[in-house]
Amino acid sequence: MAESNIQSSILEIDNLSISFFTRLGEIPAVMNFSCVLEQGKALGLVGESGCGKSTVALGIMQDLGVNGSIVGGSIKFKGRELNNMSHNELSKLRGSEIAMIYQEPMASLNPAMRISKQLMEVPITHANASEQEALALALEVVKDVRLPDPERILNSYPHQLSGGQQQRIVIAMALMSKPALLILDEPTTALDVTVEAGIVDLVKGLGKKYGTSMLFISHNLGLILDTCDDICVMYSGEAVETGSIHDVFDRMRHPYTQALFRSIPLPGADKNQRPLVAIPGNFPLPHERPHGCNFGPRCNYFENGVCDESEIDMQEMADNHHHASRCKKINTIDWQADSVTKTDYKPLLAGDKVIEVENLTKYYEVSANALFSGKERSVVKANEALSFYARESETLAIVGESGCGKSTLAKVLMGLETATSGQVLLNSQSIADKAIGDRSTETVSSIQMVFQNPFDTLNPSMTVGRQIIRALEVFGVGKTESQRNNRMLELLDLVKLPREFAIRKPRQLSGGQKQRVGIARAFAGDAQIVIADEPVSALDVSVQAAVTDLLMELQRKNGTTMLFISHDLSIVRYIADRVMVMYLGHIVETGSTDQVFAPPYHPYTEALLSAVPIADTSVKRKHIVLKGDIPSAVNPPPGCPFQTRCQHKHLVGGNLCEQEMPDAIDVAEGHQLRCHLSSEHLAAMKPVIKLAGDSVVVGG
Amino acid sequence: MASLSSVETIIQILLQFMPVWIAMALTFAVSYYFRDKLGLYGRLFDTYTGSIGFALVVFWLFTAILADLVITFDPIDQLAGMRKKAPGTLVPDTFNAYLLGGDLMGRDVFSRMVMGSRIVLSIAPAATIFAFMIGITLGLPAGFYGKKLDTILSFIANLVLAFPVILLFYLLVNPAIRSTGIPVAIAAVLFLFPIIFFVVLFQSRYYVQPSKRNIYVGLTLILGFWAYSGLAFNQDPLQLLGLEPIFYMDPNLLNIFVSVVFVNAPTVFRIVRGLTMDIKTRDYVAAAQTRGEGAWFVMLWEILPNARGPLIVDFCLRIGYTTILLGTLGFFGLGVSPESPDWGMTINEGRKLLAYFPHMAIPPALALLSLVLGLNLLGDGVREQSLKD
Repeated sequence: MAESNIQSSILEIDNLSISFFTRLGEIPAVMNFSCVLEQGKALGLVGESGCGKSTVALGIMQDLGVNGSIVGGSIKFKGRELNNMSHNELSKLRGSEIAMIYQEPMASLNPAMRISKQLMEVPITHANASEQEALALALEVVKDVRLPDPERILNSYPHQLSGGQQQRIVIAMALMSKPALLILDEPTTALDVTVEAGIVDLVKGLGKKYGTSMLFISHNLGLILDTCDDICVMYSGEAVETGSIHDVFDRMRHPYTQALFRSIPLPGADKNQRPLVAIPGNFPLPHERPHGCNFGPRCNYFENGVCDESEIDMQEMADNHHHASRCKKINTIDWQADSVTKTDYKPLLAGDKVIEVENLTKYYEVSANALFSGKERSVVKANEALSFYARESETLAIVGESGCGKSTLAKVLMGLETATSGQVLLNSQSIADKAIGDRSTETVSSIQMVFQNPFDTLNPSMTVGRQIIRALEVFGVGKTESQRNNRMLELLDLVKLPREFAIRKPRQLSGGQKQRVGIARAFAGDAQIVIADEPVSALDVSVQAAVTDLLMELQRKNGTTMLFISHDLSIVRYIADRVMVMYLGHIVETGSTDQVFAPPYHPYTEALLSAVPIADTSVKRKHIVLKGDIPSAVNPPPGCPFQTRCQHKHLVGGNLCEQEMPDAIDVAEGHQLRCHLSSEHLAAMKPVIKLAGDSVVVGG
Repeated sequence: MASLSSVETIIQILLQFMPVWIAMALTFAVSYYFRDKLGLYGRLFDTYTGSIGFALVVFWLFTAILADLVITFDPIDQLAGMRKKAPGTLVPDTFNAYLLGGDLMGRDVFSRMVMGSRIVLSIAPAATIFAFMIGITLGLPAGFYGKKLDTILSFIANLVLAFPVILLFYLLVNPAIRSTGIPVAIAAVLFLFPIIFFVVLFQSRYYVQPSKRNIYVGLTLILGFWAYSGLAFNQDPLQLLGLEPIFYMDPNLLNIFVSVVFVNAPTVFRIVRGLTMDIKTRDYVAAAQTRGEGAWFVMLWEILPNARGPLIVDFCLRIGYTTILLGTLGFFGLGVSPESPDWGMTINEGRKLLAYFPHMAIPPALALLSLVLGLNLLGDGVREQSLKD
């Protein structure tokens, strides 16, 4: 771009209001939103789903769809008003000066076009480049986004690339025209943590290299801390706090921001002593916003007659004009007060072994064609010789990225699949070769599951009560209809849902409420073991804390064993007693939470720990970015499964890593890892996470 | 011969439909008033497409129900003097006119058109329901289990679909084929499916409450086989006791019915199979399986209710196709008795003199057109509204 116009601010949004017009009338999605993005800076837009952050992005792109429109305010890009631009002028800007990256990489790429064609389109349309120039530029940009073998990548179709590679291509496409403003809408949410770390690293580097200003939209505070200079916290269509990252993270001046930070598991949170504080209540629907402060009904500092009196404006701090908050009580709240509720639950004592798994192996045979299956059959090795156990009232976390076999393991335990070989003992009864249909009702009800996606976990056409009653019927709880009905209402009480919900349909419930119903259903038959498959990862942060809390409370009450499957190490550190790290079908490390989160680490655990963004400015993380992607389970690498990406491989002599699967070695009581690294190397490992001015590792 | 002016004729026709107008006005008033509580049906009135489609369909529905009040003459009576008479011609010695003229045999075109709706609307929806029962009962397991079962069932469905429809009708309706008993045999198989469907539906859900299960399954079996023997074999048990049978189907009608069901079921099968394959990957299906539900419960109570959106849309459209199919059959003179006021057959009769006496063919043609148009618009309206959920 030949633009040499030096201006301090690239994007200036002033009092922007956006509404959608539907059958129910006007629904304001964004109200009086203002922010400024300076040249070369990155602004983070944070908030829960439905707070209007994506709407702001679409408003900037002037792409609100048929029923959305900007009803007030101005959006200035390089001093030019976007709201008054004609369609032609906007077309010139979009994709050349302002580029946007969306959450789902596969949905942003045209599946029927080669990558090269899609990339070349950008300079050909916007800069009248010739095909050769465009191709040369495409090659250069693909190298810039650090993709291996750029020529091959350019020649492939989107479906031939992995999710991480696709997202890199989307970023490359956005960078083809060297835009002045890059809008990233949750660019890494659909990716695995170690892949996410690579993308974040890339985006940061490119921002510096090209001098691009970035608007980074995310719900993940840690990610914003890693990538942005400024931050804008949104709640229910309004910006509630803006300022530099350090001002907002360390000197927050809005109760919502504070509540948000208290509800995420930072190092130092402890489920027994310093539990997370969930934000009470629910996010208000756009047409049910309260009078005055939108956060009022959920705020600890709410004061009648002050907070609900009139609309509240953004207010700058007296000592810092760059930091503003939409709160009437900025000066009266004691912001230093450590109001984290302290509890003193006794740590649960783990009892007898409830479930024992020995050498569990699960292979899938896949063939290309069901009707004319030839000889070409490939085997997906989903689980390889897994051995572990879990005790009564213990939380065992199973950690790993997509494709590591954790969901297959859950399916085998549940009986949805049967094991290829190996043993699963439930109360010393073998269940590995029993599909769910062959299990006794007692076995079935004693091992239950909580699912990941709250929007998918309940049957949309059955009432909430009906679904719980059905579980009771199948498990043989209660003799008569009324007994079961009573039990159902008790279960609703147990998961802290109002009894009226029994007659509601799932679509009338929020994500967190649906997840509670899912939990009630799992506990309907007094389950001994609950497998929780990423039960909170699809929920908003403020709701996550409440649902996690509920799970732990039920565990405390019933002495349930919980197998907590997750990729989110922050929540695992908070909730788990023991951790089991999986990679490509193997268990690479097991141990108590403290042991796994402290050195010596398995190299994969180390990388995983360093990849998880932590929303705490005082935490220093070691920076490890893994090469490449997770290998396919159809064709796993020889030797150690992690050797293709391992950062310590060079420390092991010979080709040992490529030839032999390492044995599990005991590094401490109950702490095992599978690695060829010598004990000296393992002992020399430094902790990944450090609190500033503190050399002690923060463990569970 | 005296006749009414065209304005008088139109007014007279509109007046003749008075019972239908009243019924429609009531339906619309009640539905519109309660539209916020009626879910998908209520939201139909938000769009023009849906309202117009619904109006057309309801118009013909009430016409069929109230046909006896609407007609002016017996649709089969032939008045020699009224042959090929123009619309509005008064019948000698009366004050009543042949509102849409007389046909080749001197029958009243208007009354025949009105009565024709009864034939269409008594077969088309029922045949479509049967086709759906069969398509669902086979499509669910095909999509759910996949593998060999799916391969075999899909192959059979494709086989039926690959056969030219009109040829198939000619064969099934042909008297020679009829005497071999093939249509009855097909009916015997096809009519079994609704019974299977309901028995499995109740058994899978209420096996945990045996007392309830016994009532539901028992009732289904009694009613089902009663209707089955009457419809498929013309052997209503009441008949054997010397009483008037409740379930009875004219052999001609049975042929049409069976052929229509036979050609529609495979398409429904494919739709249900596709929807099942999609929905079976949802977590609530896994949740049902992990609490130990049987396969049929999962299919009928977890998957089927959530596939209803596309199925309702297809149901509306399919009644439309079936209506056209019935018209086509009538046009070729297949199945229906030569006297009956079937729309397709009336069009065929009028076709011969279309250039001179257009009034014979055009009314039934317009009737057919408006009903199918209404069904298609209704289907579109339902689709549009169900997507908004």
